[in-house]
Amino acid sequence: MKLLLTAVTILLTTVAFSQNYTISGSVKDSTNGEDLYGAQIKVKELENVGALTNAYGFFSLTLEKGSYTLVFRASGFDTKEVKIDLSEDMKIDLELNIPKEVQEIGPVVVNAEKENDNITSSDMNVTKFTPKDIATIPVLFGEQDIMKTLQLTPGVKGAGEGNAGFYVRGGGADQNLILLDEAPVYNASHLLGFFSVFNSDAIKDVSLYKSGIPAEYGGRASSVMDVKMRDGNKKKFGASGGIGLISSRLTVEAPIVKDKGSFILSGRRSYADLFLKLSPQEDQRNTQLFFYDLNMKANYKIGEKDRIFLSGYFGRDRFGFSDIFGFNWGNQTGTLRWNHLYGNKLFSNTSVVYSNFDYEFNIGAGDDGFGVKSSIQDFNLKQDYSYYANKNNSIKFGMQGIHHTFRPGALTGGNDSFNEVILDPRYALEVGAYIQNEQKIGTRFNIMYGVRYSGFNLMGDGKAYEFDEEGTLTDEREYGSWESIKYHHGLEPRFSASYVLSENNSIKASYNRNLQYIHQLSNSTTSSPTDVWVPSSNNIAPQIADQVAMGYYHNLKNNMYRISTEVYYKDLQNQIDYRNGAQTVLNDLVEGELVFGDGRAYGLEVQIEKKKGKLTGWISYTLSRSLRTFADIDNGKEFPARQDRIHDVSVVLMYKLSDAIALSTSWVYYTGDAVTFPSGKYEVGGATLPFYTERNGYRFPDYNRLDLGCTWYFKEREKFEHNLNFSIYNAYARENAFTITFEENEETGETQAVQTTLFRLIPAITYNFNLK
Amino acid sequence: MRKLAYILGLVVLASSCQKVIDVDLNEGNQNIVIEGNYTGEDSTVRVGVTLTSSYFNNDPSPTVDNALVTITDQNGIPTVVPSAGNGQYVLSGYAPDYGTSYTLSVVYDGATYSAACSMPTPVQMDPITYQYLDGFFGADPGYVSILNFQDPELTTDFYQIVITENGTSFDRIDQIQTQDDALTNGNYIQRPLFLNELSLLGDTISYEFRTVDKAIFDYTFQAADIAGGSNSAAPGNPITNWDNGALGYFNAYGVSRDSVVIQ
Repeated sequence: MKLLLTAVTILLTTVAFSQNYTISGSVKDSTNGEDLYGAQIKVKELENVGALTNAYGFFSLTLEKGSYTLVFRASGFDTKEVKIDLSEDMKIDLELNIPKEVQEIGPVVVNAEKENDNITSSDMNVTKFTPKDIATIPVLFGEQDIMKTLQLTPGVKGAGEGNAGFYVRGGGADQNLILLDEAPVYNASHLLGFFSVFNSDAIKDVSLYKSGIPAEYGGRASSVMDVKMRDGNKKKFGASGGIGLISSRLTVEAPIVKDKGSFILSGRRSYADLFLKLSPQEDQRNTQLFFYDLNMKANYKIGEKDRIFLSGYFGRDRFGFSDIFGFNWGNQTGTLRWNHLYGNKLFSNTSVVYSNFDYEFNIGAGDDGFGVKSSIQDFNLKQDYSYYANKNNSIKFGMQGIHHTFRPGALTGGNDSFNEVILDPRYALEVGAYIQNEQKIGTRFNIMYGVRYSGFNLMGDGKAYEFDEEGTLTDEREYGSWESIKYHHGLEPRFSASYVLSENNSIKASYNRNLQYIHQLSNSTTSSPTDVWVPSSNNIAPQIADQVAMGYYHNLKNNMYRISTEVYYKDLQNQIDYRNGAQTVLNDLVEGELVFGDGRAYGLEVQIEKKKGKLTGWISYTLSRSLRTFADIDNGKEFPARQDRIHDVSVVLMYKLSDAIALSTSWVYYTGDAVTFPSGKYEVGGATLPFYTERNGYRFPDYNRLDLGCTWYFKEREKFEHNLNFSIYNAYARENAFTITFEENEETGETQAVQTTLFRLIPAITYNFNLK
Repeated sequence: MRKLAYILGLVVLASSCQKVIDVDLNEGNQNIVIEGNYTGEDSTVRVGVTLTSSYFNNDPSPTVDNALVTITDQNGIPTVVPSAGNGQYVLSGYAPDYGTSYTLSVVYDGATYSAACSMPTPVQMDPITYQYLDGFFGADPGYVSILNFQDPELTTDFYQIVITENGTSFDRIDQIQTQDDALTNGNYIQRPLFLNELSLLGDTISYEFRTVDKAIFDYTFQAADIAGGSNSAAPGNPITNWDNGALGYFNAYGVSRDSVVIQ
């Protein structure tokens, strides 16, 4: 720690002797005043000198006295140059224009700029999308979905059909930190996974970190998916929306005070079940199957130095069958943020974040009915600073505290003969502190190094249990309110570096360690909202992931093609699985049903991307393994994780046929998931049991699917634009396996394997409009 | 229009389908299954030796009659359990020494399998009682029988209970009830034992109350879970006290019995 402080001090004093001045300000979108995140500010006269805007559009750049040309650039926008004579501190607030041509043809981004940011940027291994980038990619039911599109990029794999969960580089679905305006989202799926909770209309951009994860993020072992909501139009009122077969959506946005504050309100509702109301059968008419969600955000600028943001998400899924069965779940998040600028180099953001996920089952009604409830609730306080020290160094530091409340389950009945079962809630305080520096060394070498300290305090009131090797309860102890049951903590070093070989080539490398203190226990082969989150405890150690990654990036034909090749190796410790035959439902002693082991994952990812021209898109291929070793499973023999997909191919192509018509297609192929099937059967104690030979020793059939899309842009008017999107999901009606079960053939009495396919060919049509 | 919308809805919901597929299971390796029971009550050791069979067809499990089965007491004295044909091996008149451990071993096809099990002293249960219940969940009203016993304080105990109602025994491994004293050590235990339906006036209920080894308690629980459904959190074989990869269990147990007529 002392060493670190000394290093920082030296860094700050070396430049104090020359005459330096700071240019600070903001970069915005000229059409709606939205802050641009990740816009580049380059100094034409100096190689490898520049700045990037932060999530709030702010930048700060300190240079020696002199004359410079600043080049402002952001993907999808016209570049602007500003000539300055720097002899005092300056403030530049700039708005970038969307190129005229792009505005006319709709969302297909054609950027004529020389773009080799992927080569020169020090941002490592981050995959970034805006809803605009993906607008024409065909998806299930015609509903644009940023999470599904991310699953078409290398190293990111969908958890399977009907599942919004995803796996990053061999990690589990619970190892991804999903943030919506800094609030963790515990279940990112709607309609049992067919939609993600992110409404594209309300989203500004999504960044996914697969490796080289910055020190400001912590709490999950595999990846960070940072979703930022739009701020709302600061210039004028706007409304946009879409009407589809399954769901419709509407967004309104407007300035609160022009150029000072704005709000956005965006809602969605699915109505597949409304068709069922027309059914001749009564029980079908009484079936509920829908979701709705609402995104809200408001921001206001108080003076030159301060801004506040308030954002929230509320979503709920309801699934019911008359009054026999009801199931509903949802997330609620709220974020209050305050930006403050100290001088022109120190940017501060304070956030208060609330996040809740809960689910509820109801079976029967009235006196005979009973219900099961479970939830996880967080209160989160976060303070982040960015200090733009000088032209070569920008430092980020901050701290965070999250109070978690886990309510693993409660069974309540309306009838006296029923014993209520209420599992003890568990409380924990998760803390983090970090410091990180991004440093430019010479003209070609960029490094980022930092460290995060994280700690997790499991607290009373409540009981803590102790178990022996076999999972038998040996001791229990009652703890008082806020009394520490167990404190886990650790250091998480983060490092990444990039070296520019030439204008068209660069290499990058990274190492990071991530600790994860809360764990999701999945109790079936598909992820479901009922998967329980459990805290680290006296029995459960934090998961530890160490990852090294290297990449080579090459641009061809004047940056028309980008080729990236990345390799990684990941070491996982303290992975969790259920003991054989675990009792998982409403069990206070669930920790005794767990076994612990290690894992490793490694892979090669290749992506060829075409950025310019009428035809754009990418082809990606991933060769990877993800393996686990548990002393208590298969006698310690290494076995493949469920997500061990050896080959994974995605092809995404978008073609601009004319000004009015854009065509798109995507094709995916991957090795079937690893699964445990019996290798035989036997009789014991009068019952017939399946005979299992090895965990995940079998495979689902390989998965493949082709989707087609076509968007027809109607003639645009000054205040109004609209289009019609047609899509076909699974165009060649491939019957991909959703589940494989073994059932008795009623005629022969023999056992047979039955494959269930969810979607064969699904056509969809969506009408989208935008009132400008 | 109404009709069209309904059809559209059905297209989406009905797009899912099921079909029978070929799954190539590795059925080449037949595994040995040994089910050993040593009942203190009648001083008899009963062992069944079979092999696993194809998962898909319904052929009966192949039986093994040429195995060498031996039971060894805590002093290391072996006694052969002779074959009774049809995969069964029976040794009677083998008096139990409660509180000691027995080892059962099977030599078959060049491999030796063994399992050790301690034989707990039987805990005596008190007379069975019963209670009238209103029906719930739409079930008919009736009686539930109640198990009553004093759990010994000095030992960690595990129990299996086989219920017999009017001559029908619920003795399949997924019907056997289990009880431990993890949270109730040394307590007087009164536990209602439910069958699928409540009992009626005039019904005879009997319990075979077995005091068993921990390994058997775990095995029963796991085997019942696996037999009960395929959607297990962690598909696997129940953990057995057999070594060397044999399936099944070896259970040496003490018994106490009682019976009651509901009136």
